[in-house]
Amino acid sequence: MTNMRMTEKNLKDRENKISAKGVDVFYGDTHAIKDVDVNILNNTVTAFIGPSGCGKSTFLRCLNRMNDTIDIARVTGQILLDGDDIYDKSVDPVTLRARVGMVFQKPNPFPKSIYDNIAYGPRIHGLVNNKAELDEVVEKSLRRAAIWDEAKDRLDQPGTGLSGGQQQRLCIARAIATAPEVLLMDEPCSALDPIATAQIEELIDELRQDFAVVIVTHSMQQAARVSQKTAFFHLGVVAEYGDTNQIFTNPVDKRTQDYITGRFG
Amino acid sequence: MGPHIVSAFDDDLIAVQARISEMGGLAEDMLSSALEAVKNRDPQLANEVIMRDKRLDALEMQVEELATRVIALRQPMAGDLRLMISALKMASTLERIGDLAKNIARRAVYLASVRPVKVSTSIVRMGTQTLGQLTEVLDAYTSRDTDLAVSIWQRDIEVDEMYNAIFREVVTYMMEDPRTIGLGSQLLFIAKNLERIGDHTTHLAEMVYYIVEGEPLGDDRPKGEPIGLEGL
Repeated sequence: MTNMRMTEKNLKDRENKISAKGVDVFYGDTHAIKDVDVNILNNTVTAFIGPSGCGKSTFLRCLNRMNDTIDIARVTGQILLDGDDIYDKSVDPVTLRARVGMVFQKPNPFPKSIYDNIAYGPRIHGLVNNKAELDEVVEKSLRRAAIWDEAKDRLDQPGTGLSGGQQQRLCIARAIATAPEVLLMDEPCSALDPIATAQIEELIDELRQDFAVVIVTHSMQQAARVSQKTAFFHLGVVAEYGDTNQIFTNPVDKRTQDYITGRFG
Repeated sequence: MGPHIVSAFDDDLIAVQARISEMGGLAEDMLSSALEAVKNRDPQLANEVIMRDKRLDALEMQVEELATRVIALRQPMAGDLRLMISALKMASTLERIGDLAKNIARRAVYLASVRPVKVSTSIVRMGTQTLGQLTEVLDAYTSRDTDLAVSIWQRDIEVDEMYNAIFREVVTYMMEDPRTIGLGSQLLFIAKNLERIGDHTTHLAEMVYYIVEGEPLGDDRPKGEPIGLEGL
């Protein structure tokens, strides 16, 4: 019961990794995120929950400037990573995304070998000097994503040949190969069976030793199981943000109560 | 709280609470009849109380089954979760209250067979107080009235004090006439049972508070000093 044990640990001493203050997001005329303040703590899993269309994925995508890729999207407010504004003109979004990695809902391995899927990031960011170092990064990343044993004898085979759960762990290995500081996960288990889901959840808890993890999930049980902090989004605002334990046993906000107990009309 | 999107969930929650209310009613009725049997020296009524305990045990099993099923199948959260966890604890507490009432009834059968004693009236008074608090806590559960629950919780000290008074009275009585020791012991057991029912009632009050407020009532409840242990 690693998760339970971790949940009990004191959250008070953790430092802020990301501080978001007064964040608004517009898609054209649509005001998708309204004045959101959320802190992402280091070595902590933060879950974003809420009904579809509440803005949780949109907000997640602000944290590594994925919204830059959408022409009509406009982000205002302040998002600080270790105290530095990530929307500052001097920040290169590609470098930012190496520090703030992302795993998506559907496993999306590159149409390359398992090895190259992992090696791609470290290569383009110039994180390794030679083949031996690269081999080491590949092995370490696959090991940490708990897929090394299944992949080590087929590193030259296409990543797309793996099962869904294996592909998702491959994508996590790929995301951590660039040694990010924050890992964003947008419904990483929604396409997986319960066993693969449990493996990913176990992995999330391990990754937390080194990163801040932010997970968007529609599964309330998953949020309750893996996270220590939970933010409940509703109609573009954060209705409640607090310790996961408190949110799921004794939520303060009526909207949170209705949502987590299954009473949303 | 509005209804759940899945309406069968509401049916399950209602079913669990209905069983708790039924158990509460039954436990209350058993205690009241047991006290009546003591007061009126009525062994027949006492035997009826003993029989009724079976129904209470069966209901406890039903609550356990239902609540376990709701937790397994519906993964209740927040207030719903607190309701289910409390239902399990309340069912077992009410079952114990029933056991204690049954025990009082058994002793009532004995008391009816020996000569009447004066102390019986103090015990009946203590019983009325205990029964009153049980009734109130069941009302507090139905109406989710935390003010009432807290007031019952604080008032248990009165039952404790009555117990201590009866203890002293019966011990004096036994010292005066050693032939009454057998009878006196029965009276002490009845008083002790009532005192335990009072404690269980405060536990029910704590559950009502937890269901509504989402936090424990705490453990600094005013308690009577256990008799014979003063100054230890």
